[in-house]
Amino acid sequence: MSILVIAEHDNDTLKSATLNTVTAALQIGGDVAVLVAGSGCQSVAEQAAKISGISKVLVADNPAYEKFLAENMMPLIVELSAGKTHLLAPATTSGKNIMPGVAALLDVAQISEIISVESADTFQRPIYAGNAIATVQSLDAIKVLTVRTTGFDETAVAGSAEIEAVATVCDSGKSRFVTEEVVASERPELTSAKVIISGGRGMGNGENFSLLEAVADKLGAAVGASRAAVDAGFVSNDMQVGQTGKIVAPELYIAVGISGAIQHLAGMKDSKVIVAINKDEDAPIFSIADYGLVADLFEVVPQLAEQL
Amino acid sequence: MKVLVTVKRVIDYNVKVRVKADNSGVDLNNVKMAMNPFCEIAVEEAIRLKEAGVATEVVAVSLGPKACQEQLRTALALGADRAIHVETEQELESLNVAKLLAKIVEIEQPGMVILGKQSIDTDNNQTGQMLAALTGMPQGTFASKIVINDDKALVTREVDGGLQTIELNMPIIATTDLRLNEPRYASLPNIMKAKRKPLAVKTVEELGVTLKEHSKIVSVNAPAERQAGIKVADVAELVDKLKNEAKVI
Amino acid sequence: MSNYQHPYKEANFVIRHLLHFDQFCEAYSWDEINSDLTAVVLAEAEKFAVNYLLELNRQGDLQAAYLQGDKVFETPGFARAYQQFIAQGWPSLSATEAYGGQGLPNLLSVACNEIWQSTNLAFSLCPLLGQGAITAIAEHGSEALKQQFLAKLISGEWTGTMNLTEAGAGSDLAAINTRAEYIDGEYKISGQKIFITWGDHQMTDNIIHLVLARLPDAPVGVKGISLFVVPKFLLDAQGNPAAENDLRCLSLEHKMGIHGSPTCVMSYGDKDGAIGYLVGEKHHGLGYMFSMMNHARQGVGVQGLGISERAYQAALEYAGGRVQGRDKAGNSMRIIEFADVRRMLMMMKSGTEAMRALCYYAGFKADQKAAATEQQKSAIQAQISFLTPIVKGWCTELTQELVSLAMQVYGGAGYIEEAGVAQHVRDARILTIYEGTTGIQALDLTHRKTLFDKALQARQIFKEIQQTIDDLAVLDQRCYLSRALTDALNDAQEAVTWLLENPDQGGSVAANYLQLWGYLMGGWLMAKSHLAAWQQLQLDAGDSDYLNAKLVTCKFYTQHFLVRTQACLASIRAGSDAIMALSEQQFFSHVN
Repeated sequence: MSILVIAEHDNDTLKSATLNTVTAALQIGGDVAVLVAGSGCQSVAEQAAKISGISKVLVADNPAYEKFLAENMMPLIVELSAGKTHLLAPATTSGKNIMPGVAALLDVAQISEIISVESADTFQRPIYAGNAIATVQSLDAIKVLTVRTTGFDETAVAGSAEIEAVATVCDSGKSRFVTEEVVASERPELTSAKVIISGGRGMGNGENFSLLEAVADKLGAAVGASRAAVDAGFVSNDMQVGQTGKIVAPELYIAVGISGAIQHLAGMKDSKVIVAINKDEDAPIFSIADYGLVADLFEVVPQLAEQL
Repeated sequence: MKVLVTVKRVIDYNVKVRVKADNSGVDLNNVKMAMNPFCEIAVEEAIRLKEAGVATEVVAVSLGPKACQEQLRTALALGADRAIHVETEQELESLNVAKLLAKIVEIEQPGMVILGKQSIDTDNNQTGQMLAALTGMPQGTFASKIVINDDKALVTREVDGGLQTIELNMPIIATTDLRLNEPRYASLPNIMKAKRKPLAVKTVEELGVTLKEHSKIVSVNAPAERQAGIKVADVAELVDKLKNEAKVI
Repeated sequence: MSNYQHPYKEANFVIRHLLHFDQFCEAYSWDEINSDLTAVVLAEAEKFAVNYLLELNRQGDLQAAYLQGDKVFETPGFARAYQQFIAQGWPSLSATEAYGGQGLPNLLSVACNEIWQSTNLAFSLCPLLGQGAITAIAEHGSEALKQQFLAKLISGEWTGTMNLTEAGAGSDLAAINTRAEYIDGEYKISGQKIFITWGDHQMTDNIIHLVLARLPDAPVGVKGISLFVVPKFLLDAQGNPAAENDLRCLSLEHKMGIHGSPTCVMSYGDKDGAIGYLVGEKHHGLGYMFSMMNHARQGVGVQGLGISERAYQAALEYAGGRVQGRDKAGNSMRIIEFADVRRMLMMMKSGTEAMRALCYYAGFKADQKAAATEQQKSAIQAQISFLTPIVKGWCTELTQELVSLAMQVYGGAGYIEEAGVAQHVRDARILTIYEGTTGIQALDLTHRKTLFDKALQARQIFKEIQQTIDDLAVLDQRCYLSRALTDALNDAQEAVTWLLENPDQGGSVAANYLQLWGYLMGGWLMAKSHLAAWQQLQLDAGDSDYLNAKLVTCKFYTQHFLVRTQACLASIRAGSDAIMALSEQQFFSHVN
């Protein structure tokens, strides 16, 4: 088997999503090469060469690839697919933009957002917003895959693969980059945050919420509160998570000093991972928490901020 | 300019999905079906282009069983001028959908095709890109803003970490992201009018497209249930679990 | 806030298989109208309701409309929802096509109203009263009045109100005191009206009040009341709102529920009289109002259905998620697993389904009447008149029981406002009171609808029920259904016989007589539903999960609700005996 992984980068730094994707490629097995297509991206190629387990880094360094426009990337990857059995890209907006078209040009299917490799031709992927997991077998000679990075660990970076330049230049002339805006990294909104840390009546007062903010800063998390904390006047009610507040479902929800009233649980029970920190070990919140820590929050929350 | 807009019939987003007992798929028997929400945004965008005088005709297309005509009627009630239904009982993989759409594009010669970025059933996010590749039209995927200036389109795309604006030569393929617009509701008078708008039915054979099987579903399973929680001894263990077991930080 | 999903399978089943709407449409070759269309319209209605009305329901409860100066400001957010409501054309649904309406069947209007009322009763009352104003002007107004007001009421650009009640004229409208005088070619209205729902708000640039008033030359009593159109703003030559009319909102009531719906004390003619336009003929106003009453009263029954469905969905969601106690093996249990919670949920489910069957059945009669020949019309009108007090009185009383059960399922959490179910209990409480209390409905049924025609109409319905009992013979397990329905039918026949023999005791037995009819009609329609579901299953058509659940729900209804006819009959037979036996003084004998 011969696999090509399309690297995710910004012409400067290799993105970690590439490392998860290489892991998926190595699980499939066989020869794994990485393509770094970009502009002025030599340093990325050098970073990619250090990925453990890969045989080669292909570098297509040309202004045409600077912004990874699909119209230019697709023919390049199609050309490099000769002799390959698998083409993998991380399921980032860039990977999702490019890979389906590559598959179409090769007259093969594209399998999106795989979360596990069952065999060289069989993969698992979530469907129906993760409410079901499909095991999909590819019948095509070339498997074109995008990889959900959370499904795979990052591969180690301790290798030294050779770097090989690719001369092909594809510039369709049909599309042109104009501008980009990078979102300023202030604290995220409750409803869209990937991580939320919320405080309850156990916080004691509003000032103590700064303990949570210290953790939130480390995690890029939003800060929420239970109704009890809002009613007690600790914080404003736009921070309230619960049936009558905001309904949230982040990847990680950390409930601090929250006992777990039904109204609160209704607002956050669909979170992927729930952590509860409470000194009352009978607090109902523990019944739905994946990880419970029975402790005094004033001791452990600062520790948490420190250790993250 | 003619705008082609695609419409997929999917399980209603409110319906709780149940995996079939034999793991062959998801139980769609007698469940509520609706227009894919991303397609609603696509239809809305097409109608707005028409209202702005940019588009002259909006043609809605759907592929699938006869029941898809319900969603096409909805598109007509929302403001599409006519509809094309490619009727087939076959399960269609994205590439086959893209090939059939490419054929319709060849026949209709639209200035623009708008598709939802993904459907909420299979979550593939690929048909628009495949259609672009097959037709050679440039693509503006995950669009949150589309501006047409004569023979160029400015498409602002929702990309990881921000927004990217690209300029494309018309004709183009666009796929919609959530923030592109807020779809309207069909009004009662328009629901009534929609019944009189033309809806053409075509078959796969008529379009002369050969469908190929590229992949097959081996099984469909319910995701693992939330495991019974554990208690951790201290912060160090908690951080370790979050990093290495749950992998959320 | 609990979620709401339109029970579309139920609605479609009732429309298609219980009422055979499609056969009806075909028979009258209604162009383009059929159950596919109703399904599409209902799906759109649900979308609007869930996205615009659901959240505002709570908002309206917490932040009631308020009065500032003499202007009423509605709950924030209502205006936006109302604009969207009219943008989608909902007020025009069943209105006449001649003035921009869609001319769609009343049945569909009833089914849509259910959705508005499930999601936001307080909001829904505004367009509902508009429907009343539309009907009044369309059926009784002059061509000039129609030209001026109808199109904008139908489009929803203006809203309408109904001004009947006064401080001294509630259930007895003969006591109306508001005056109308004909001065210099104009009618000038003056007086005070109370309980005027949505009497003022800022959502539209005009409000069209329909006001009952008495002219100086009017005979005393009910025959001397005239109906006037009194706009908030008088129209200019182009028909646009211009000068302020002499009317204002004096105060708002502080109510137990439906806080989002402003209930106004309206004052007309504080200065030199509010200008009004006579609807139809002088002194006939009450008659015009009564011609709309069947519709309005049935509408309140539908409100009960709407809230009951909502409360049921909330209780169901809660029961499925709330963990309490452990089974013998030590596993934790959700309360939906407990038999008594199941019983309560089944009460709500079956009660709501029976109500829906009755409300739609009765609402559909209006369409049948509209399509019928002149000779048939009066017979159908008689049916509608008979059904109206039952739909209003029985559905809304049953609603009290069902929303209360919903709270019961929540336990202590339900009594806390935050859970949301308390609002349903409070909102629902008005339903047995307005548009004629249950007592008024019951008297209507005993006297005007039964004694007056010597139970002719009642016996017509008995025949139809007997036919269903005969039809039940096709079922394998016919025994319980047909036996239960036969028993209930016998109870009703005995009650009618008793009433005819003791007409002077009508007032004493009226409440039980009404309830008996309600449970019987619900049971009859559930039996018909059972048959229809069974036939669908035989054909292997439709959704077997849904249809089998329907069979069980019908069975539950017969076991737990239909049997109540026995108790009603027993109380009826007791007559006035103990009810009227105490002297007024004896009521105080325990304290004096």
